[in-house]
Amino acid sequence: MSPTIFYSLSIVLVVFSLLVVLCKNPLHSALFLALAMIDLAFIFFELKAPFIAAVQLMVYAGAVMVMFVMVLMLFDLKEDEESAFSGNPVINVFKFLSAGLLCWAISSKLFSYGDVAGLGAGKEFDIKALGTTLYTKYIFAFEALGLLLLLIAVGAVALSRTKGGTHDS
Amino acid sequence: MGADIFEISINIIKILVIFLLMVQIVPLLVWVERRGSAFIQNRFGPNRVGPLGLTQLLADAVKFLFKEEFVPSKGKKFLFYAAPVIALVPGALAFASIPLSAPILVDAFEMFGKSWGPYRFAFQGFEMGVGIVFVLGISSLGAYALLMAGWASNNKYSMYGALRACAQMISYELALGLALVGILLIYGTFDFAEMVAYQEGPLSFFFMGKEVIVPFLPNWGIFYQPLGAVLLFCAMFAETNRTPFDLPEAEAELVAGYHTEYGGLKMLMFYIGEYGHMLVASALMATFYFGGYNLPFISTEAVNAFFAGFGFSATKASIVTAFALHVVLFTKILLFLWVFIWVRWTLPRFRYDQLMDLGWKTMLPWALANTIITAALVLLMRTEWL
Repeated sequence: MSPTIFYSLSIVLVVFSLLVVLCKNPLHSALFLALAMIDLAFIFFELKAPFIAAVQLMVYAGAVMVMFVMVLMLFDLKEDEESAFSGNPVINVFKFLSAGLLCWAISSKLFSYGDVAGLGAGKEFDIKALGTTLYTKYIFAFEALGLLLLLIAVGAVALSRTKGGTHDS
Repeated sequence: MGADIFEISINIIKILVIFLLMVQIVPLLVWVERRGSAFIQNRFGPNRVGPLGLTQLLADAVKFLFKEEFVPSKGKKFLFYAAPVIALVPGALAFASIPLSAPILVDAFEMFGKSWGPYRFAFQGFEMGVGIVFVLGISSLGAYALLMAGWASNNKYSMYGALRACAQMISYELALGLALVGILLIYGTFDFAEMVAYQEGPLSFFFMGKEVIVPFLPNWGIFYQPLGAVLLFCAMFAETNRTPFDLPEAEAELVAGYHTEYGGLKMLMFYIGEYGHMLVASALMATFYFGGYNLPFISTEAVNAFFAGFGFSATKASIVTAFALHVVLFTKILLFLWVFIWVRWTLPRFRYDQLMDLGWKTMLPWALANTIITAALVLLMRTEWL
């Protein structure tokens, strides 16, 4: 991966990610999040992982869209546009805690990658290897995640059932 | 992009030509749509301007260009302008990554006193190793244009249209992806060119580890995955927002849905985006289930040998082969495009709850069952038991 491409994509990614949290309007935030995801997909593609890149587009672009709709339907945009992200003290504590955690996590790894040009070099895209690794080495984590997602789906159905809906059960 | 100036310039021209191919087929499709709908409904359709009403297209283009520019005063101006542009992108990118014919092989030759090495030009905008996954990922971005248009218009009807488009896309994308898994299991690849190569020759499959050949049928995906093909085609209709799935622009309820506030050239770009999606859907159907750019029973090499028999050089034979096979693929694509238009003017629109029921309670379970049964069968059939 050439350093020029890597640094330009990374700078764009950082800018978009900052805009996600700095935008006053939650809808603009959602759109910038989508742009950041697309940029991340480019980085994956440049790291010779085209499958991950495409899955990144498919999964996260769809997820951000759901968020977009949630924002549209749950926020009263005229009033909440300004007040949505200015929080009370409790929210501020959580904000600083999570920001601190993130900073610590990033700073512990920040200077350990010196060789940008070496990233992804010598690796060939191999879908069979990916599948084999997922289903042998990481089989437990994979299945556990599947179970977690199933739980979330069941929970969502249970929650929406009690509030009624368009369908009569 | 390429090793030298010749390869790079050819590749750039190729990308431009494929984009223009997508854009330029739209007026023709609009004409077919108008005349076709008229004949289906026992009318004449536009037949006054020029022969068969063909120059009506030019008149339309002039109308689109000179319409009054309009932006809703309280809308989001930037997003309002950006949405039609973004509507074009997914269709164009997805179409450019589908191979439209066999690759052209150019032998080494002399030009301008320099020797230019042998080249291989794929007959597509760009080659992605993961082919279909890339197309699915890109076309899932299509709904953003509708969402942005709906929200930027500052109009309740537009907003409803955008929300419907979004809900519909999320529901049908799952069925679309799962319908494809079956055929991917059989081909064992994500690459379009390899899929087309798999479908050469007569129908041949493994039964209990032994090869069975059916000489009177081509080796097309439709014979392995009829259910998957039907599910994919239905989900494609939903993805392109065409009747009977055009809830986002249901004119009886929502004026015109997400593009209520759009007119002129911006409206036209939404149109091009929609037809681009149709083109991608047709090309995918042809590539996955109907042999791609190959004629039934005739392999690419056979066509190449046939043209080489006329005394062409290897390079020329390769070029002629590529264009001949391109015509084959486009014939298949045009047939599917006609089905899109035919269905639009034949079936009524779904009710919204029917749409959701069809997506979640019918197509998704069937696609899941298709995947599981295909996986079991592929394992059973390809293992040698005796």
